[in-house]
Amino acid sequence: MFRTAARRLLGAGFTTSRLLRLPKPRPTTIIPYSYCTSSTESPIGNQSVNPNQSDTAREEGHRRDESSRKPRAEFEEEQARVLAASLRHVPRLGWTEEAMIAGSRDVGVSPSTVGSFSRKEAALVEYFMDDCLQLLIDRVDSGLDLQNLIPSERVSKLVSIRLEMQIPYVSKWPQALSIQAHPVNVPTSFKQRAMLVDEIWHTVGDGASDLDWYVKRTVLGGVYSTTEIYMLTDDSPEYRDTWAFLDDRVKDAFDLKKSIQEAKYFAQDIGAGVGKSFQGLMNVHKGWS
Amino acid sequence: MALRSISRRFGSRILNYRSSVASLHSHATSFGFQQVKEEEKSKLVGNVFTNVASSYDIMNDVMSGGLHRLWKERLVGKLSPFAGMKHLDVAGGTGDVAFRIFDAVNSVKRRALRKVDEDSLEETQIYVCDINPNMLNVGKQRAAERGLRDNKSLVWVEGDAEALSFDDNSMDGYTIAFGIRNVTHIEKALAEAYRVLKRGGRFLCLELSHVDIPVFKDVYDLYSFKVIPNLGELIAGDRESYQYLVESVRRFPPQEKFATMIADAGFEKVEYENLVGGVVAIHSAIKL
Repeated sequence: MFRTAARRLLGAGFTTSRLLRLPKPRPTTIIPYSYCTSSTESPIGNQSVNPNQSDTAREEGHRRDESSRKPRAEFEEEQARVLAASLRHVPRLGWTEEAMIAGSRDVGVSPSTVGSFSRKEAALVEYFMDDCLQLLIDRVDSGLDLQNLIPSERVSKLVSIRLEMQIPYVSKWPQALSIQAHPVNVPTSFKQRAMLVDEIWHTVGDGASDLDWYVKRTVLGGVYSTTEIYMLTDDSPEYRDTWAFLDDRVKDAFDLKKSIQEAKYFAQDIGAGVGKSFQGLMNVHKGWS
Repeated sequence: MALRSISRRFGSRILNYRSSVASLHSHATSFGFQQVKEEEKSKLVGNVFTNVASSYDIMNDVMSGGLHRLWKERLVGKLSPFAGMKHLDVAGGTGDVAFRIFDAVNSVKRRALRKVDEDSLEETQIYVCDINPNMLNVGKQRAAERGLRDNKSLVWVEGDAEALSFDDNSMDGYTIAFGIRNVTHIEKALAEAYRVLKRGGRFLCLELSHVDIPVFKDVYDLYSFKVIPNLGELIAGDRESYQYLVESVRRFPPQEKFATMIADAGFEKVEYENLVGGVVAIHSAIKL
């Protein structure tokens, strides 16, 4: 919905990469001025340094820097960097605060920042989901060959590409799923999955926006989730069983669609048939009278 | 009329700057509702706390109905302490916040979660800094009662929030609970906080603040000015100190203003949370 709507509104030149990286507005946050107090470094023993001296220096610094505001984007980037570094520790430490603390140490930032993430572990999982979606979009944009495949095969291929990104974290993925299932986190995780499913359908080439749209997204959401869970207990080499399972489910979904379509036509035919025979009866009746 | 509109257009900027400077100046020269000289304020505040030190904790419980414990729990919860942390609690004389952080870091649950392969097996260090030695003594006594007298993690330091004796970029966390109101120059304390914090370090401030809710505000004012000084006289035997306390709360900048001051000191992601409708506010920020 997001991608199709955006395309329609803003034309083909629109890149979704920016759409996914919009920072969330925070209600009670102030945009800071850059304020160079670190330049007035005072050595340990000299706390009795003239307060007047440091005051004037600070005043000058303030006047000089009032025009340049430190952009908030830098802060968001820093947080993203911490999360990215934390992902490397997830296979060992799980989707936990410990992984985030280790990640922040890697980036060179005090682990105290971990405390400032709202819903800490969930922030890490959500970052990972966004990151994977972004990678999927990049993969698609950089020329993934889908021309020779029928729609059901395209869907299979895209879902498998996306699930492959989770392979390094498969051992801790159940934990991520349980974090996503927390009532507090459900709105965000639901939205992320909806965007993913929408993205896949859009790539497959479906531009429909009627009631069918909801059915398609729901069905694909079901296929994706069941395959994801199947993958957790799969030990076959290179997850062959998972991909077979996926292909079967996708085929079922398309067959379901076909059978619903056939049922619709059948009902229409019956309706037409009944209508005709009724009309015939009426005519005969009229003919009689 | 025209003059007023012109001055509003051009003068508003200058007025804002002047009014902010004026309000800071007014904080520096106000002792409650009295006007005092800047140099004297520190001494007067010192006297207040020397007088109340021994009954400080009891009075906190009585005045807030025990709620101050919950507020401090919330503060420490927001901080999310971790093992190996270097933390500075300023104006933390009797050690309430410091003990909570110590417990949070050393709780059994945390120790179980700690993996063996931690390369940085650094010691957690919690520094408790207070300008008033009497308050520190009460804190040290309470530590002894808990069996933490010789514990290396808790370090009691006498010092001034406006001129800390710690190195730059040395602290993971900085908290100041019910203390920044008593500082003569708030912006200096904030600047010092910025200086000692590491990159990524968090600043957290718990302070009595302004209530805006219509009826509740009047109830709160009544309670503050009628009940608290009487309690002070009854329990601590010191009416003036508690009169100073309630007056200083009114003179302290409101939540938004204080948040702007924190941002001016260079902090990022400045947020505040009102508790009990604004009676208490927790301001938090990160240094980046």
